[in-house]
Amino acid sequence: MEEEEEDRRTQIQSSDDGGGDTQNVEPNRVKVKDQHVLQFLDSMDEYLTQMDSLSTILRQGWLELASARHSMGASRVNGALLDLKIHSAPTSLRVSEDAVVDSEVEKAHFTLCKWASSENGKPGSGEGKFRGDNLRTKSGSPQLRNRSLSPFSENPEKTSPQNGAPLVVDDQVQKERSKSLSVFGTLVSPKLRTAQLSFETALEKLVEIANARSTMLRAFDQVREELEGT
Amino acid sequence: MAGRAQIPTKSSALIAMIADEDTVTGFLLAGVGNVDLRRKTNYLIVDSKTTVKAIEDAFKEFTTKEDIAIILISQYVANMIRFLVDSYNKPVPAILEIPSKDHPYDPAHDSVLSRVKYLFSAESVASGRR
Repeated sequence: MEEEEEDRRTQIQSSDDGGGDTQNVEPNRVKVKDQHVLQFLDSMDEYLTQMDSLSTILRQGWLELASARHSMGASRVNGALLDLKIHSAPTSLRVSEDAVVDSEVEKAHFTLCKWASSENGKPGSGEGKFRGDNLRTKSGSPQLRNRSLSPFSENPEKTSPQNGAPLVVDDQVQKERSKSLSVFGTLVSPKLRTAQLSFETALEKLVEIANARSTMLRAFDQVREELEGT
Repeated sequence: MAGRAQIPTKSSALIAMIADEDTVTGFLLAGVGNVDLRRKTNYLIVDSKTTVKAIEDAFKEFTTKEDIAIILISQYVANMIRFLVDSYNKPVPAILEIPSKDHPYDPAHDSVLSRVKYLFSAESVASGRR
C-alpha cells in the first residue's frame, strides 16, 4: 500500500514538472478529490466550532433565565404559563435548495426570518430579510476561525444597537418581542429581556449550524462517491 | 443518502423542539412557538415524567410534518431514542442535537458526526484504495 502511495506521489510530481497532456488528467482528478476532502473537513470544523459557540450562548441564556426566575419568582417563569392559544410562530425559516453546478448533489439552505408579523402576514420582511442575506454571505466563503473567540465578540453588531444599519430594530420587531414576553406578565425582569436576546442569538447560530451540517453532508456524499468509484 | 433526496422549497417553515423546560422556554421567548388549529404545539417539554414513548411519538410526528424545517433535540433526549435519530437521514427537517443545562454537548454521540466518522476509519480508506 505504501508503494502505491509512493507511485501516486511520483506521478503527481512528474506531471507537475511538465509531464505531458495525457498525465495532466490524473493530477486534475486528484486535485478535485482533495478539494472535496478539504471542503468536507472545513465544513466539519465549522460545524464543531459553531456548536462550541452555541453551547456558550445557551449557557448565557440559561443563566439569564435563572436570574429572571430568581427575581420574578418561580411561579411567574415556568413552562405552565406558555401560550397554548392558536397562533403562528413569528420567527420562522425559509428553506431553499442550493444547486451545485458541477454535481447532481443538492443541499438545503436555511434562512432565518425573525419576528415577521403574524398580523400583516409578511414573512421575510424587515429584520428577517437582513439576517438571511447576512447568513448567506457568511456561509458563502470559507473563513479562518478562532475557537477561543467569544460568540458575542464575533458579531458585535448583532448585540450592540449603536453600530448602524444592521441594528435598526423597528417598532414591529419590538412589538413582537413584547408580545412574546407578555406570557410572563406585563412587567418582566430586564434579565428576561436579555435572556430573550441570548436565545435569539442562539437561534441565529443554530441556522448557521444547520447550513454547515448541510454542507458537511453534501461534501461527505461527494467524498464517499469518489472513494467508491476508485 | 441525505443529499440525494428531493428538498422541498418552503417560504415559511417552523423550528420544532424536544428539550428540557428552560431550553424550550428560551426558544419560545425568541418567537419560535407555534400552536396550530388542532392546538398541537411544535415543541415537547421533556422532564422526569416524560416517557420514551412520548418522545418517540413527538419525534416521529415532527419528522413527518411538512411545515417543519429544523428539529432541535437535546442530546440527552436524543440518546433515549438513539436508534430513531440515527436511522433518520433526510436533509429536511434537519435534526440538530443541542446541549442542555445538565448535559454538555458531546460530539461522539452526535448522529451526524457518527455518520461521517466512516471516512476516518482506516478500513474505509483501505477499501477505497482497492
